[in-house]
Amino acid sequence: MAVAVVLLSGAPFHGGCCRHKVFLSLLGPLLSNSKLYSSYRRPGAEPKKKLSWQNADFSFKKSIDHLKTQLSLLTKETQDYLQGPGGHPLSQHVLEQTRVLWQFRSQEDLNKWVISSDVEIGGKSKVYIKLGRNNQAALLYGTLNTEVPRDGETKYSGYCSMRSRPAVGSFNRKKYYDWSNFNSLYLRVRGDGRPWMVNIYTDPYFSHQKDDLYSYFMFTRGGPYWEEIKIPFSKFFFSSRGRVQDNQHPVWLDKASFLTLGLTIGDKVDGPFQLEIDFIGLLNDRAHREEFAYETYDKN
Amino acid sequence: FTTSLLLGTTMTISSNHWIMAWAGLEINTLAILPMISKSHHPRAIEAATKYFLTQATASALLLFSSMINAWQTGQWDITQLTNPTSCLILTSAIAMKLGLVPFHFWFPEVLQGAPLTTGLLLSTLMKFPPITLLYMTSPSLNPTVLTFMAILSTALGGWMGLNQTQIRKILAFSSISHLGWMTIIISYNPKLTLLNFYLYALMTTATFLTLNSTKASKLSTLMTTWTKAPALNVALLLTLLSMAGLPPMTGFLPKFVIIQELTMHDMA
Repeated sequence: MAVAVVLLSGAPFHGGCCRHKVFLSLLGPLLSNSKLYSSYRRPGAEPKKKLSWQNADFSFKKSIDHLKTQLSLLTKETQDYLQGPGGHPLSQHVLEQTRVLWQFRSQEDLNKWVISSDVEIGGKSKVYIKLGRNNQAALLYGTLNTEVPRDGETKYSGYCSMRSRPAVGSFNRKKYYDWSNFNSLYLRVRGDGRPWMVNIYTDPYFSHQKDDLYSYFMFTRGGPYWEEIKIPFSKFFFSSRGRVQDNQHPVWLDKASFLTLGLTIGDKVDGPFQLEIDFIGLLNDRAHREEFAYETYDKN
Repeated sequence: FTTSLLLGTTMTISSNHWIMAWAGLEINTLAILPMISKSHHPRAIEAATKYFLTQATASALLLFSSMINAWQTGQWDITQLTNPTSCLILTSAIAMKLGLVPFHFWFPEVLQGAPLTTGLLLSTLMKFPPITLLYMTSPSLNPTVLTFMAILSTALGGWMGLNQTQIRKILAFSSISHLGWMTIIISYNPKLTLLNFYLYALMTTATFLTLNSTKASKLSTLMTTWTKAPALNVALLLTLLSMAGLPPMTGFLPKFVIIQELTMHDMA
């Protein structure tokens, strides 16, 4: 309050034309739509985008086409619902032991994934994805650079990742899958010997849990031969905002809604990396009897 | 917690005053919350939160209804609910407590997040006080609203349970459907509602205890239980057929007498 009085009283010394600048400097943080915690933009972050309502396209023809697409999706969903759970007969749901979730045979399959690296925090790693030889696999390659961006805030750098886009149904509604029949993740990959981290993000109900992640490691062998890696879901450990939590619990897959799978490399070794992925699927390994690999602390 | 549940249930079903009935419902709500969230899994916490919010809202509506009635009529007796606004608000409060359509969305999620024994309590013991309140106030409630909710509950409970693969969700939709049957007859012959409820509680208890002993929570697990406990599997089969209302099982009896009663009142 005292500062405001001093500034306002000091305005005549600078001329009346500067008085509105005084007001703006006082009220600027309130009037701008910058976030409350910091307006500092990291070197790798994109410049401030337009507001969401400024991006809206009010074209009538496009909206009609969009509506037609969504209605056709809704019709297909209704037909799938009449067939059985997940659009398949109940017998298939009960008897299936394997399921292919993602396979990489065309550009459309690649478009279901998003690649990112530490460029978004100002780092220098590079990551690319393309279809492999004969369109039989996806090739994720790039260069890892652990040089920390000099912004005074960041302490670590050097990661590249590939995440699946969450599945949406008609009218952008979340799609719910039941993966409880399976107990392992099955990947057919050909790596270069570098370790990767497989992350599962389950869309939580509460926003407090939006940083929760279930992770496990995938060690690739390198060499000319493909390898089939099975990672049981019981091995995935729970972390939040990158920190492994003391209270561990297994990942529930009965309502795998908006679930995204991610592969991340961050082994603190500078240099090129390469990973070929044929397909990613689910497996019901009847020999695997473990429910959860880590200790859960029973309270009360 | 079990003692608190019994205390809350006894308080509600034996009370004449609305405040005592409300207090019993609140004790029930608070006592079941730690049982739902016992495993501390995020999904269990989510289920407990959803349960608390809906039940607290319903309790508030119930208290609001009784307060309006007390303001208009000057008395707090449960059986003397005469104000039409109070009756409407009470109907929505009870529907929310029970999980009748259109206030049913919380029930499958809560049952899925809770363990099987807690699910049993949610489906049987927690339904008893609201059913009792419905029974005591049934002469005052609007039959059209009740019939509408009952028909929707029976239909939606059946349709939405069709493509489910998790057993707890299937039993939740079964519960919604049975509640529809209980609600439709309450305006004409409330004793049939109680008969339906007792038989439903018996069948549901048998189902949940069987599933608990075989630790089956999804359909694929249920497919292989016959190798572990064949006799129990056969008993489960008969119990489920009874819940479906197939003669000559016991579950056919309430459905038959309800349809008979509705026919007598030109409703079916």
